[in-house]
Amino acid sequence: MNHLIKHRITRRQSLTLIGATLAAMMLPTAPLLANTGGIRQKTFAGTDKTLPVIGMGTWRTFNVGNDPQLLDARTEVVKAFFEHGGGLIDSSPMYGSAPDVMGYALQQLGTPESLFSAEKVWSPAGGSAREQVAELKSRWKVEHFDLVQVHNLTDWREHLAALQEMKAEGIIRHVGITTSHGRRHSEIEQIMTSEDIDFVQLTYNITHREAENRLLPLAEERNIGVIANRPYDGGSLIKNLKRRDAPLPEWAKEECGCTTWADFLLKFIVSHPAITCAIPATTQVEHMRENMRAGYAPMPSPDARKRMAAYIESL
Amino acid sequence: MNEWTSYRLQDFIPFTAEVYFRLLERIGETFWPLHLLTLALGAAALLLALKHRTRLACLLPAPLWAFVAVAFFFQRYAELNWAGGYVGNAFIAQAVLLALVALTGWGLDKASRATNLPVAIGIAITLFGLIIMPLIAPLSGGSWYQAEVFGIHADPTAVTTLGLVLIMLRGFALWLAAIIPALWLVVSGLTLQVLDSSGAVVLLAVLAIVLVGLVWKSIEFKR
Repeated sequence: MNHLIKHRITRRQSLTLIGATLAAMMLPTAPLLANTGGIRQKTFAGTDKTLPVIGMGTWRTFNVGNDPQLLDARTEVVKAFFEHGGGLIDSSPMYGSAPDVMGYALQQLGTPESLFSAEKVWSPAGGSAREQVAELKSRWKVEHFDLVQVHNLTDWREHLAALQEMKAEGIIRHVGITTSHGRRHSEIEQIMTSEDIDFVQLTYNITHREAENRLLPLAEERNIGVIANRPYDGGSLIKNLKRRDAPLPEWAKEECGCTTWADFLLKFIVSHPAITCAIPATTQVEHMRENMRAGYAPMPSPDARKRMAAYIESL
Repeated sequence: MNEWTSYRLQDFIPFTAEVYFRLLERIGETFWPLHLLTLALGAAALLLALKHRTRLACLLPAPLWAFVAVAFFFQRYAELNWAGGYVGNAFIAQAVLLALVALTGWGLDKASRATNLPVAIGIAITLFGLIIMPLIAPLSGGSWYQAEVFGIHADPTAVTTLGLVLIMLRGFALWLAAIIPALWLVVSGLTLQVLDSSGAVVLLAVLAIVLVGLVWKSIEFKR
């Protein structure tokens, strides 16, 4: 008991402690939560549901066929994604075996509650939208999809009508459309204006910001969630920065906690108010961890975003 | 933005280099020691072609094209690339074409001489496909299972066949029998380029040399 007597709190210490506790209670709580509460979440599509701002793409990276060694390696990537609070995973029948690889990973890991499964229908894959969704569900080994999108607007009128029916029947939860590389933006704008869609997926990154002009403001106005694909411009953006040994600016660390180029590029994207999440793709567990860390606070302010874009342009 | 000009070559290759080279290695592992038989068939086809027993020489590669269509394209590559089934069909068509030429004798060059330049190119290309191509991967530090072999893998099958048709065929039949292997070399060469593999240069160089042989032999045939 001697150690208790030795560490008995004095009256003065008690008063200090009470004072400190009261002072802490008076501090604004939101910024603290934002800094310590895990990956940032955003509400989407006018609902009160939220999605983590960093999702996961599967183009090229998850198309490994039935190679047992690579199937296990990709399962580790998915595991790291969920360990960091990941949610949205996006795939497509155009991505070869990627839906099967997701099915394998989910079978190995179990299906986490945070999973927000996003698929696509694509005319060259064959079959109606209903048939494609049914087949993809069996490949993913899931009961339902949270989101099904019309891939690259192929036969979008027919597919979107079928997806809306499936949403009404409760077979899928949300519907969307996709494009990439800045293609067909005027048609995307027309669909966002005239159709009742929950999500639009488009290319948005620090060097491809065309969507800022019309599509992102429209998405905010119409409560349409936005998924940003090609956040690293197909990998070339981050590879070029690393190859050129471009210095990460000190102010980016101070203003928004950027310690890697992944932080810099992804935080720029997801800090746009209209963007729901970005979907970087990777084959490496370490890169997945880097990507996920970018979803944590602090995020750049509007002024910091301008500075980030100017810095990249200056390189 | 013009939609088509926004596409780049890598937009059409839906897998990474790691996956593609693992696929080639797994094919090698799965079918070993069938390689010995396919190489023997290739060598036999070359010897028969040089001895003017061209019908049999033309027939021998046909089942190997069908085998590559099924074992490589339909059963494996199509898992990675939705277009793989179409390429598999093209390989089946090549198998049928070679068999038809062998059975009918249409377009066979029964007087080819090794001293003739297009024929000499054909011999060199055939030997390159049969002997050098399988050695590239092991000599570059890879395992023997990564060796690409005639009758097992698509690239050496196409290269060797192009060499053989330069020796055995003439006229329209020569060009017809060269179309599918040549197109595959273009597709494969561009794929390897996207995957940052030096193999792209090798395939495209082979194709350029074959084209010289094809044009030369056609000019000679018209004289």
